[in-house]
Amino acid sequence: MVATLEFQNVSKSYQTATGPIEALRDFDLTIGEGEFISIVGPSGCGKSTLLSMASGLAFPTQGKISVKGEPVSEPVTDLGIVFQTDVLLDWRTILDNILIQPEMRGLDRNAYRPRALDLLKMVGLEGFEKKYPYELSGGMRQRVSICRALIHEPPLLLMDEPFGALDALTREQMVMELHQIWLETRKSVIFITHDIQEAVLLADRVIVMTPRPGRIAEIIKTDLPHPRRPATMETARFISVVAQIRHLFEKHGVLKAY
Amino acid sequence: MTAQARDEASTVVRRRWWPASFDSTLLGLALILIWEMGVRLGHVPVYLLPPPSTILMRILTDYRSLFMHTVVTVNEVLIGFGLAIAVSIPLAAILAQFRPLERAFYPILVASQTIPKVAIAPLIVVWFGFGLFPKILIAFLICFFPILIDALIGFRSTPKEVIWLARSMGAPRRRIFLNFQLPAALPHIFAGLKVASTLAVVGAVVGEFVASDRGLGYQLIVANGMLDVVLSFAILVLLSVVGILLFAVVDLVERLLLPWHISHRPTGQEQP
Ligand SMILES: Nc1ncnc2c1ncn2[C@@H]1O[C@H](COP(=O)(O)OP(=O)(O)OP(=O)(O)O)[C@@H](O)[C@H]1O
Ligand SMILES: [Mg+2]
Repeated sequence: MVATLEFQNVSKSYQTATGPIEALRDFDLTIGEGEFISIVGPSGCGKSTLLSMASGLAFPTQGKISVKGEPVSEPVTDLGIVFQTDVLLDWRTILDNILIQPEMRGLDRNAYRPRALDLLKMVGLEGFEKKYPYELSGGMRQRVSICRALIHEPPLLLMDEPFGALDALTREQMVMELHQIWLETRKSVIFITHDIQEAVLLADRVIVMTPRPGRIAEIIKTDLPHPRRPATMETARFISVVAQIRHLFEKHGVLKAY
Repeated sequence: MTAQARDEASTVVRRRWWPASFDSTLLGLALILIWEMGVRLGHVPVYLLPPPSTILMRILTDYRSLFMHTVVTVNEVLIGFGLAIAVSIPLAAILAQFRPLERAFYPILVASQTIPKVAIAPLIVVWFGFGLFPKILIAFLICFFPILIDALIGFRSTPKEVIWLARSMGAPRRRIFLNFQLPAALPHIFAGLKVASTLAVVGAVVGEFVASDRGLGYQLIVANGMLDVVLSFAILVLLSVVGILLFAVVDLVERLLLPWHISHRPTGQEQP
């Protein structure tokens, strides 16, 4: 398998007024082309930091990151990012918020219109294209930002808790849609979440992180057959992987053992 | 937002038959009425406080000369204000792009601002004479700072993630500025423009106070010299009308340009 994204012993500290804060320590991971990686870990363990470094928007204090064998020294543009906050532009309509992606890349805006409308339909926001972001709920805004990350069909997708603001039902739907997109396009994906089930259901490998400073507690291959369906969550393998991750969190004091 | 959507939003918030702007109009009329009655019933002499009706009559009888002076002052105000916009916003944009430049310039700008413009007005007249230019310059100097500061705050307050988003899309610096930083800064810029629009009138009048042979400021000095209190009040009314109109224009442009902004949305204090 070709390596799409490679972290070599990456550590990151932030300089703050009260001294340095170590966010991430010795993160070592190679992501293959077309691989779906989920990252689960407690709040503040450096997951967002990891994404910002993978996209060349922030840089490690130690270690090396490379994309397709090239060391990252500037923003990586051959990707789509869903940030933890929706980052919609208040002054643009929903459709224009999605189309800003091709616009900024110097692509023909009109050529992407139909696809933008399709994506909106897929995330259940048909008919909202002319609204402004303030007219949408938090979960709706988040879904728009997912459309914006997908519109230009990037080979690499970085998602930071993209379904965080969604209710359980919409969430399950979105998980299945994402899985479907991945099956069809085989993008490389880094998917950050707090939800263990979601992480396992989508991923080839789940990276379990320790509390801050974030280190890799364990890398778990899910080994579940494709395509994954809601029923997959009832299989013995799925249940045992989820249990394994829970035990890891208990061991590191993230979850209390009862 | 479509006009229809806006209408719907406003009917939800206010179930009254009159638009909100009537409230302040009514209040204003009530105050004028109290003034009129108070002065008349209290037999206040006209040379101390003339009643509004007398002031209005004076404006109507003297309208030729007052109109001429108003045009002079409005001209100074508009050019000074326009110049301040043309200089402050690009300057703020440049300073916001280059942090070291900002760190070097900002303290100097603040220090220069602590000098009262009113106090240096006579100096400006000494340097630049009696013409139009010194008045424009004073109006400009007074407007300059609030626009600059608000624009600078606006350009600086783009959230980190917005810039990150732009950079991950490979947007060049110019596009990041035009498509992300500038629109995000506009609400701040308009706040500065509103403050400056009222100050511009002050600047022009101060310039005319010091040295002039025309304009509402000059006419005010003349009226005071002749103890013509009614004329003084007539001029004050015209000056405030000029200020209000300029403010209203800025406000209108803001509404047209930023229909999405929070200050134009329904208030959130909905009534049942
Ligand atoms: N700009 C910053 N300056 C200083 N410290 C920071 C900064 N960004 C993050 N940190 C610190 O780094 C640590 C990791 O932050 P990060 O945002 O990566 O966590 P996270 O795993 O994404 O958390 P969450 O799940 O809550 O989003 C946190 O402890 C935080 O305090
Ligand atoms: Mg985070």
